Amino acid sequence: MLEALLFAMFAGTAIGCALGVVFHRNPVHCALLLVGVLLNLAGIFILLHAQFVAALQVIVYAGAIMVLFLFVVMLLNVKGETPLLTPGAAKFFGFLFALIVFVEMLWTVLQPGGDAGAPAAQAPLPAEFGSPAALGRVLYTVWLYPFEITSILLLVAVVGAVVLAKRKFI
Amino acid sequence: MLGAPAVPLLWYQMLAAILFTIGVVGVLVRRSALVIFMSIELMLNAVNLSFVAFSRQYGSMDGHVFVFFVMAVAAAEVAIGLAIIVAIFRNRETASVDDVHLLKG
Repeated sequence: MLEALLFAMFAGTAIGCALGVVFHRNPVHCALLLVGVLLNLAGIFILLHAQFVAALQVIVYAGAIMVLFLFVVMLLNVKGETPLLTPGAAKFFGFLFALIVFVEMLWTVLQPGGDAGAPAAQAPLPAEFGSPAALGRVLYTVWLYPFEITSILLLVAVVGAVVLAKRKFI
Repeated sequence: MLGAPAVPLLWYQMLAAILFTIGVVGVLVRRSALVIFMSIELMLNAVNLSFVAFSRQYGSMDGHVFVFFVMAVAAAEVAIGLAIIVAIFRNRETASVDDVHLLKG
């Protein structure tokens, strides 16, 4: 009961903040509302016994990535867009395609044999489920090569960001 | 030992679908490149939620590993994307995607 109540609270706040991200005029407010979405999702992760992922979400996403966003928003000092949304037919088709995507996803989720046919939750999860130790054990054995490739990806991203942000590039 | 979940998987999937759709709307109808990037983050987070919910359902840690990778890719994407936005803004004094259409032909 408490879990369902917490889920409803987190989900409602997350959806409200997400709508704010998309429809708020000021990019700084958008970024702060996105932090709200991320924190609420971290709460939902804890409900799902993913404590370590929740901590990563708060530290890496709401901390590091959003600071980068806010830094750039304030560096560029972009004025609020005067027509908030893209004008003309593009707006209409944007909403239409988004609606189609939503209906498709909902149809997939609600389909019998889809989620409804998923096996019942493994009730006796191991006590260490979601802990850093359990994640590390999987990450450094089964997923070792993807992990190493990720480090190369991050290195490339760092070099690319430095090169792109250099003056007189474009 | 942890007990069975009180909230069914379906609810988490619906929440993920709603958040993903809001992100799609943001990408399609907003004009500011910065807000478009934030909407992409929203979509990535919806997918992360889906991964974690399935991970809980199947009792396997692999979904958490995927979330870890998604976060790493999102960090790389944000670093590169924001560098591109800064470079464009420096040259064109705009962050609106409607004003950057050299490739449109």
